[in-house]
Amino acid sequence: MVARVAGVFDEKLTEAIANSKVLVVGAGGIGCEILKNLVLTGFPNIEIIDLDTIDVSNLNRQFLFHKEHVGKSKAQVAKDSALSFNPNVNIVAHHDSVISNEYGVSYFKKFNIVMNALDNRVARNHVNRMCLAADVPLVETGTAGYAGQVELIKKGLTQCYECLPKAPQKSFPGCTIRNTPSEPIHCIVWAKHLFNQLFGEEDPDQNVSPDTADPEAAGDAGASALNAKESETGNVDRKSTRMWAAETNYDPEKLFSKLFGDDIRYLLSMENLWKKRRPPTPLVWDNLPGKDDSPAKHSGLPDQRVWSVSECAQIFATSCKALEADLKSRPDGDHLVWDKDEKSAMDFVTACANVRAYIFNIPLKSRFEIKSMAGNIIPAIATANAIVAGLAVLRAQNILKGNIEDCTSVYLRPKVNHRGQLFVPEKTLTTPNPKCFVCAPKAEVALACNLKQLTLKDLNTALKEGLNMQAPDAAVEGKGLVVLSSEPGETDHNNHKTLEQIGLNDGCALLVDDFLQNFEVRVRLQQEDDEKSWRLVTDMDTPMPEPKEDKPTNGANGSEPKPGPSRPKDDSDSDMEIIEEDEGVETTKPPKRRRIEVSDDIVELC
Amino acid sequence: MVENNEMELSEAEAEQYDRQIRLWGLESQKRLRASKVLVIGLSGLGAEIAKNIILSGVKSVCLLDNEKLRETDQYSQFLAPPDKIGENRAEASLLRARALNPMVDVTSEKKAVDDLPDNFFTEFDIVCATGLKQEQLERINNACRDCNKKFLCGDVWGMFGYMFTDLVDHEYSEEIVQHKAVKRGPDDSDKNARETVTITVKRRAIYVPLQNALSADWSKPELRSRLRRGDPSYFVMKILLRFRDEYNRNPDPAKRKADTEIIFKMRNELVKELNLPAGFVSDAILTDVFGIVSGAAAVMGGVIGQEIVKAVSQREPPHNNMFFFNPVKCVGFVELYGQ
Repeated sequence: MVARVAGVFDEKLTEAIANSKVLVVGAGGIGCEILKNLVLTGFPNIEIIDLDTIDVSNLNRQFLFHKEHVGKSKAQVAKDSALSFNPNVNIVAHHDSVISNEYGVSYFKKFNIVMNALDNRVARNHVNRMCLAADVPLVETGTAGYAGQVELIKKGLTQCYECLPKAPQKSFPGCTIRNTPSEPIHCIVWAKHLFNQLFGEEDPDQNVSPDTADPEAAGDAGASALNAKESETGNVDRKSTRMWAAETNYDPEKLFSKLFGDDIRYLLSMENLWKKRRPPTPLVWDNLPGKDDSPAKHSGLPDQRVWSVSECAQIFATSCKALEADLKSRPDGDHLVWDKDEKSAMDFVTACANVRAYIFNIPLKSRFEIKSMAGNIIPAIATANAIVAGLAVLRAQNILKGNIEDCTSVYLRPKVNHRGQLFVPEKTLTTPNPKCFVCAPKAEVALACNLKQLTLKDLNTALKEGLNMQAPDAAVEGKGLVVLSSEPGETDHNNHKTLEQIGLNDGCALLVDDFLQNFEVRVRLQQEDDEKSWRLVTDMDTPMPEPKEDKPTNGANGSEPKPGPSRPKDDSDSDMEIIEEDEGVETTKPPKRRRIEVSDDIVELC
Repeated sequence: MVENNEMELSEAEAEQYDRQIRLWGLESQKRLRASKVLVIGLSGLGAEIAKNIILSGVKSVCLLDNEKLRETDQYSQFLAPPDKIGENRAEASLLRARALNPMVDVTSEKKAVDDLPDNFFTEFDIVCATGLKQEQLERINNACRDCNKKFLCGDVWGMFGYMFTDLVDHEYSEEIVQHKAVKRGPDDSDKNARETVTITVKRRAIYVPLQNALSADWSKPELRSRLRRGDPSYFVMKILLRFRDEYNRNPDPAKRKADTEIIFKMRNELVKELNLPAGFVSDAILTDVFGIVSGAAAVMGGVIGQEIVKAVSQREPPHNNMFFFNPVKCVGFVELYGQ
C-alpha cells in the first residue's frame, strides 16, 4: 500500500507514483527535504546517496539530523529519520560517492527519475552525463541564501547541465595579490597562499613575495637597490619561503619582520607602483598599533570582533607555532591542508590578512567575515531549501504523470520581480545547445596546445580537468591506436612523451571516451606554438575551463566525490542560476540567466 | 514589537546558526531568539511552518490544535508519528518538534480557538493561523491588531496554497547595494574606480486587516485590470474558504467526485457574483485541491516560515499582503488586496 490516501491524486498519478523508482543524489539541505516529501507522498522505492557526514552547522536546516547524529553518515541517518514518517516505503541508503563504478549507466537506468541535491559542479557534471547516457529525466536543484532553482534535464528535450558554459572562477591578477592589494579579499588570498608556502603544498603559482615582473613597476631602478637576486620569473630569489622559515625555526618575530617589514619596504622601492596609490606602511614587531590598549572587556564572540594589529600579531605567533608543531608531527614530506574549520589555520589566515590589510590601508575584518570569504561559505537557510525541494517533487510528480513538456525551469527569487513573482517559471523548455560538447549527437571540442611540449600525462590531466572525465580512454581517429588507457599501467610508459613524439600532429583527432560516464567526445588537436599548457576550444561563445582553475583546497569537510579535480567542500547546496530580468519590461524571450557558483580557490592571472 | 535583548549569542548558538547568521546577520538572530510564536493548526502545513521557525531559533513556539490526527494527515504531517492517529495533533507533534532544536521552547495547547480568550493570542509576538474559518481568522487578526501584534494565515488545499499577512505598522531594515566612486591614492586619476557598498536603510510598511483583503471589490477598475494577468488564484482561495465555511470541513479525498461537483458549482456562483470572464477559473486548478500534498505544504510552509522570520527579525521587506502558489503554472506571486 503506497498511495496511503486514495483521492488525493487522480488515478493516473496515484498509479505512476506506485510504480516509480527515484534516486536522490545528496542528503544535505535540499536532499533531506526532498526525501521527506517523497516518503510522505508515498513514493515506494527510493535510493539516496551521500558520502558526507553530519556537521553541527548543518543542523539549522538539515532537519532529519539532530545533535546526536553529528559525525554519522548523512545518507543513513536521513533514511532512518524518513522511515519514521512512513515505514511502508523502501529506502536504500548509500554512504558513498556517486562518482564510482558502483553506479554505472545500468544503475541509473533502474530509476524513473533522478533528483540532484548536490553542492558542487564536479558531481553535477557527472550525474548529468550519467542521466544523459541512461536517458533518465534529471531534476536538478540548488539554493544560495534566499534564492534557488529547479531545472529539468532530459536528453534531446532540454539543455543539459553542461550546455551553457559556467561563469568563470573569480580570479585576481597575481601582481594585485603580491604587490598592490586594494580589497580585503586580496589580503585573504595572499594569507591562504602564505599558509601553503609555509605549511601546505608548495605551489609556485602561490608566491607571496613581491613580484618584480609587475608590468606597472617596469623601469624601476629602486628594486635592485635592495640587492636581491632576481630570478628569471621575477620572483625575488630567497630559496623557498618554506626552507627559509624552517631555518629560522618558524620564529614568529622573524617571519613577521620579513613578511610585513622587509617585503613591504621592498615593495615601496618599486616607486612606480605608488604614483597613483597610497603607499603601504611597513610594520615593526615591537611597535604595533593597539599594543598599549588596555585589555578591553570584549563583549560577544571573539569571532565577531575586529582584532587590533597587535592582537593579530599575537595570534599570528601562536597559530604559527601550533601549525609548525602540527607539521613537525607528520611524516617527512607531508604537509598541512588549509581548512576553514581548523582553528589554527583559520586564526593564521585571519591574522595575516588583517595585518596586510592594515599595511595597505584596507579595512580590517572579523574572523567571522574572513571565514566566509576564505572558505567560500554560501549561506543556507531551511525555508529556501524547503521551497526548492517542494517544487522539485511537484515537478517530479508532473514528469511521472507524463507531462514532462510542461516541466520548465522554476526560479526562486530572493525578492519578488516587477510582476510580483517570487517563483518564476520559464515559459518554455530550453532546447539543447546543438554545439554542446556533452549532449550534442556529435560532441566535439578542440584542444589547443603545443604538441611539441604537451606530454601524454598532460593530455590525461586536460581530459580530466577540462572535460570533467573520470577515467578517459583516447584513441587516434581512423587508426584505432590507443594512446591513453584508463587501465592502470597500460599506457603509463608513454606518460613523459610529447604528443608529437607519439605521432600526433596538428589537425589529428582523438576519440576520447569515459567508460563510466558512457560519454564520448571527438577531440581535435590544434597546434599553437605559444601555448604553454593547454586550452579547450568549443563553438560555445565563452572560454572552456583551463588548467589550474581547480586548485585542490580543503578536503576536510569534503561532502563530495573524491575523484576528479577537487573543489572546496562546502556543505551548502549552492551552484545556482538566477533570472535577471529588466525591471518593468515584459519579455517573451527566456530571461537571461546568471549562474552563481561556489567559487573555487581563487585563480591568479598576471 | 520584538525587543532585541542585548544578550549575546552563545558559542553553541553561533555554531548551529552559522549558515543563516551569514545571511541575515547577528542582529536578526538575536531578534529571532527573543520572539514568541503561535502556530494554529497542525496539519501538514502547520508542521512545515513549525519546523522552519523552530530551526531558525526563535524563543518559543506554541502548537495550538484541538483536532485529532487523521489518516489523511499522514500525507504531509511528519511531526506526528503514524502510530498516533486519533490523538490530539498538537500533542502528538510535540516530541519531534522539540527534537528539531532543543534550544527552542516548544509547547502545545489543545483547546479550541473559540474557547480561548483574545488575550491568549496577544501573548505572542506573532500568530500564524491555518485551517480556520474566515470568521475565526478575522477575530484573531483583529485581536492581534488591537495590541499591535503581527498576524499571518495560510492554507494548502491539495497542491494549491495562499498566505495572508497583516504586520500592522511594520518597521524593517533593508540592505541596498550602491556603487560609489573611490580614490585609492593621492594622485588616483582613475575616474571609473568604483566599489560596491551595502548600506542599510530603514523602511516602514502599513498593512490592512484580513476582512479588507477578503472583501476586495472586483467591480473597481484598478482591481478589474488585474484580471488581465489571467491568474485565478485569489478566486480559488475564495471558493475553498467558502467551502470550508459552508461545510465545516475541507474537500475530502474520499469524496473526490462529489466534492469536485460542489466546488465547480461554487465556482460558477462566484464567477457570476463577481462578473468574471467565462472560463477564468479553470477546472484544472480546482481538481487538485484534496488533502494536503507534501510538496505544496513544503513550498507554502517555506514561504510562510520565511515571512515569520522576516517579520520578527525586522529585516528585509515582507510580502504585502497576499501570496499565492498556483501549481498549474508553478508560479508563486505577491498581490496587495484591500487597500
